[in-house]
Amino acid sequence: MVDETPNGATSDAARWAALIEAVATRGDREAFAKLFEHFAPRIKTFMRRSGASEQSADEFAQEALLAVWSKAGLFDPGSVGATAWIFTIARNLRIDVLRREKRAGRDYAVEIDPEFHVDDGPQPDAYLAASQTESRVRHAMALLSEEQLRVIELSFFDEKAHAEIAQTLQIPLGTVKSRLRLAMNRLRGLLGDLS
Amino acid sequence: MTIHHHPPEELLVAFAAGLLDLGQHVAIATHLVGCPHCRDTVRTLEHVGGALLTGLPPTVMSAGALATVEARLDGLVASTALRPRPAAEQITDIPGLPHFVREYPAGPWRWIAPKVHLRPIQLPVASLTRVFLLKSRPGTKMIEHTHTGFEMSCVLSGSFVHAGGHFGPGDFDFGDGTDDHEIMIDSVDDCICLVAMQGDLKLNGMIGRLLQPLIRM
Repeated sequence: MVDETPNGATSDAARWAALIEAVATRGDREAFAKLFEHFAPRIKTFMRRSGASEQSADEFAQEALLAVWSKAGLFDPGSVGATAWIFTIARNLRIDVLRREKRAGRDYAVEIDPEFHVDDGPQPDAYLAASQTESRVRHAMALLSEEQLRVIELSFFDEKAHAEIAQTLQIPLGTVKSRLRLAMNRLRGLLGDLS
Repeated sequence: MTIHHHPPEELLVAFAAGLLDLGQHVAIATHLVGCPHCRDTVRTLEHVGGALLTGLPPTVMSAGALATVEARLDGLVASTALRPRPAAEQITDIPGLPHFVREYPAGPWRWIAPKVHLRPIQLPVASLTRVFLLKSRPGTKMIEHTHTGFEMSCVLSGSFVHAGGHFGPGDFDFGDGTDDHEIMIDSVDDCICLVAMQGDLKLNGMIGRLLQPLIRM
């Protein structure tokens, strides 16, 4: 599932970034439609695998792309890759949705950026072409073992986390944790600090 | 600030994936603000998330989904500009408390045990995990306790020590409900921590019994 063609990956990332910028600067609907066509069906898959129903996964994907539209102006192609950025939009929306579901009965709405301004100030990697970062990450992921990649994937999808992953893969909980740790160490080693 | 204690990897993954509840998310984010190392890990994970996402097979969207979304684009700017916030006291007097936490309303400091004060932070939505500031005077020996859920503590100022090591500003202490620990405040000044706690404390000793009914907030 990981794209192994570095040039393809790089130009993809650059293309997504250009489309997001077109949305941000010109409100370009054609660019938006292209982003929608690629990302909405994948965000839907992501939510389906996380346990959402067909309908709510569909609605979630629509909401995520709406958020991409409204936040496009915040996209900084120098500091984050386009796919990572869209991922964090979906991620934050997921937190919001979880919150909303738990908020039954509360009558005020507070929108607080769940990223919490963690990106405080310019990061050293702002000077690296983000598309390069993306292809490095894909490369690094392609070098993980099947098992390590699987544990990482499941860690992203599954709200019930490691106990359930252990059940799904029929391995002990400790093995899930150690595989994840190995995978992370491996990624870190392969990527160096992204900064 | 040298940080020696970090959140376990799986918590950083869950943070990056958006799987933590708000209280937990706040605790991890508090650590991230002060920890470039973990911030870097989270950033890497967000790239991993992006790569996973874009590598997934597509699921066909419902008929007319794009048209539905396009029809909503125009009205979007107005609605996202609204950010009402409940009026309440905001925290301004805690050095080291990240800005985003200051935006949450906080309750007053209240005495919960000799030399120990607690200040609840009101999350905008009910979270399984409660978040509060805990301020302890130097020399305080805290209760030994076990948790029925887990607890995350981020040291904002001062320091404490327990069997797991010494914890100063920026350090992250994670108790997963399996350890008993006796905590000693060993800094010259007050030790203030942001604590995210799930489940109930099972407390031992007199202070514990005093603390238990109060800490449920």
